[in-house]
Amino acid sequence: MIAKKWVPYAFLAVPLTMYSIWVLYPIISTFVLSFTSWDGVSPTIKFIGLENFVELFNDPYFGVSVINNIKWLVGFTGVCVPLGLLIAMLLDQKFKGTKIYKTLIYLPMTLSFVIIGQIWFWILEPRHGAINTILNMLGLESVGWLSDPNVVTYSLILAASWRQISYAMVIYLAGLKQVPNQLIEAAWVDGANAWKRFIHIIIPMLKPATVVAITVSIIDSLRAFDIVYVLTRGGPFYSSSVMANYMYIQSFHNYRMGYGSAIAVIQFLITLGFILFYMRYVLKSEEER
Amino acid sequence: MKKLLLIVSLLMFALVSLGASELVINSYMSDPAPRKVFAELVDQFREEHPELEVTVNTFAHEDFKTLLRTWLNSPEAPDVATWFAGERMRYFASKGLLEPIGDIFEGGFRAYFPEAFRSASAYEDEIYFVPQSWYWWGVYYRKSVFEELNIQSPITWSQFIKVCEKLKENGYIPITIGTKYLWTAAGWFDSLNMRVNGIEYHMDLTNGDIPYTDEGMEKVFDYWKELIENDYFIDNHTSYTWQDAANYLFTGEAGMYLMGQFIKDVAPENIKDDLDFFRFPIIDGEVGLYEDTPIDGFMIPAKAKNKEAAKTFLKFIASKEAQQYFAEELGRLAANKNVPAPDAHAQKGLEMILESDGVMQFYDRDTNPEMAEKGMNGFVEFMVYPRRLETILKNLEMHRMRIYSE
Repeated sequence: MIAKKWVPYAFLAVPLTMYSIWVLYPIISTFVLSFTSWDGVSPTIKFIGLENFVELFNDPYFGVSVINNIKWLVGFTGVCVPLGLLIAMLLDQKFKGTKIYKTLIYLPMTLSFVIIGQIWFWILEPRHGAINTILNMLGLESVGWLSDPNVVTYSLILAASWRQISYAMVIYLAGLKQVPNQLIEAAWVDGANAWKRFIHIIIPMLKPATVVAITVSIIDSLRAFDIVYVLTRGGPFYSSSVMANYMYIQSFHNYRMGYGSAIAVIQFLITLGFILFYMRYVLKSEEER
Repeated sequence: MKKLLLIVSLLMFALVSLGASELVINSYMSDPAPRKVFAELVDQFREEHPELEVTVNTFAHEDFKTLLRTWLNSPEAPDVATWFAGERMRYFASKGLLEPIGDIFEGGFRAYFPEAFRSASAYEDEIYFVPQSWYWWGVYYRKSVFEELNIQSPITWSQFIKVCEKLKENGYIPITIGTKYLWTAAGWFDSLNMRVNGIEYHMDLTNGDIPYTDEGMEKVFDYWKELIENDYFIDNHTSYTWQDAANYLFTGEAGMYLMGQFIKDVAPENIKDDLDFFRFPIIDGEVGLYEDTPIDGFMIPAKAKNKEAAKTFLKFIASKEAQQYFAEELGRLAANKNVPAPDAHAQKGLEMILESDGVMQFYDRDTNPEMAEKGMNGFVEFMVYPRRLETILKNLEMHRMRIYSE
């Protein structure tokens, strides 16, 4: 049997090569570039040590971007996940037309973020957009959904939530299928009311689904880019920027590949923390089985 | 991000698969009107040169600006790319990413173009850029609206303010603008700075030689503030593109729009003839009349595969016939000096420029790219929060010191 030890590696050779070229190499080169002042154009690359990182920590717009990422994180985990659970609970009941409702709520998942962005632009457009038109009909003032620096990030999170909620719903619907009916019936026989059954039986049984939903939401909120770029490009004046958007603007608009790489490194490290936590949980629960 | 890289690499594969007898042109002419006219021009070129297989890739204008740099650096660069004259072209030329093309002009550059275009098309005495068309900036308005309200085109700043006031009283938004992509705000900055401080000052500023905290700047922003605080600009302008903002002029909701001649590209047929413009109002009678006249054209990446074909194409583009066709169809001014202004509107624009005392390209074409992005962001922030001016200018000055010290 020893002779066949190489077999798995032979099978892994192709995916590992591809992984190295398209994932490992870019990560390493991003780390290297983050210590340079490269503009993405010049043939020569100058190393400047930690200067990019020092500038980054004093850059108010980067600070705004990080804070916005945190707002995304809170919105995704604190609002989208519970709402997804609520909708999943509702649609898990047996009543007419659940399939249609599930499909309708699932629909945004099939759209790309660019299209979602465009749809929401029509809804949020300040003069003739759907929301402001309704507000005006009710005699209320228009709101600068995409132009008021205090509002714009929440508008973007709202647009992204439309998709994120349906994602959480799908995870919970699958999770609910795993909850054995006998348990709920037993609790019912013991006299537990609906709320108690929900709190003490269903929620604990849904723990794996919750971990997946929350972790994925955290990662999605940290890599938020598409909606921001399509709707505002991080504007007005970076007030709706997130890390990924700021990195893109710096690297490709401002010709600062080195500085952009430094942002990418910070973002990578933050995301890595969450991914490690997730992997540990998943691996641990796999071993327990 | 990954998605974008994927698209870029797919594009490159697409370019690799094309043979050497092909000519690949990447174009930013994505608005329907210029896109159509350019396609017609390329068809004419195809007829003259059936041996070449010409491919035109058109990209959305704003995407093109970020993608170009990737192409110039890749071994699979396009053979010809559209671009802007001035600092934005020179930036790439200085990095050795462009092919000198001075040798394609029979009788030299001056046989084709006004001598004044040379410096905008050259870097260190070498020509890298073929000008195709140029245009002027002006304050656009609807003739019918001005007639209805009995408004005369203002000449001085105080007259301009009165026009704004009258439009506002009659329920119009005096001035429309869309600052989602920032550069529209730079149009205001350029015009105000040139009217207040003159062209020498403006040139030094865009070259990075004058601090943004300079005293002269204050006056510029004082005039701008007057318009902002009187609520003459459209609300929520940061959520609009320049086309969105133009729409409010076309629908008759807004009265005026400081814009380049290309506003006509996006105007509906029935409104085109109702559009007119006047020169940006005079603020200080002692200061000469200076205008922005951006030049658009073509260049060849140093890494282009088929440079011979690219040069053949640029020669065609520089020719009187091709320039005349493009200018006539779009109502722009041809760069070729032997082409007359195509219509009365363009004639008026040409005369305005000929009566001027000097011209610049445009803030983001005259300034280092990174400084331009910072600057324009600052202008837009000022338009929303005029009270932050001091902080904004200090911040810009900090960036100017860093960027120009490198």
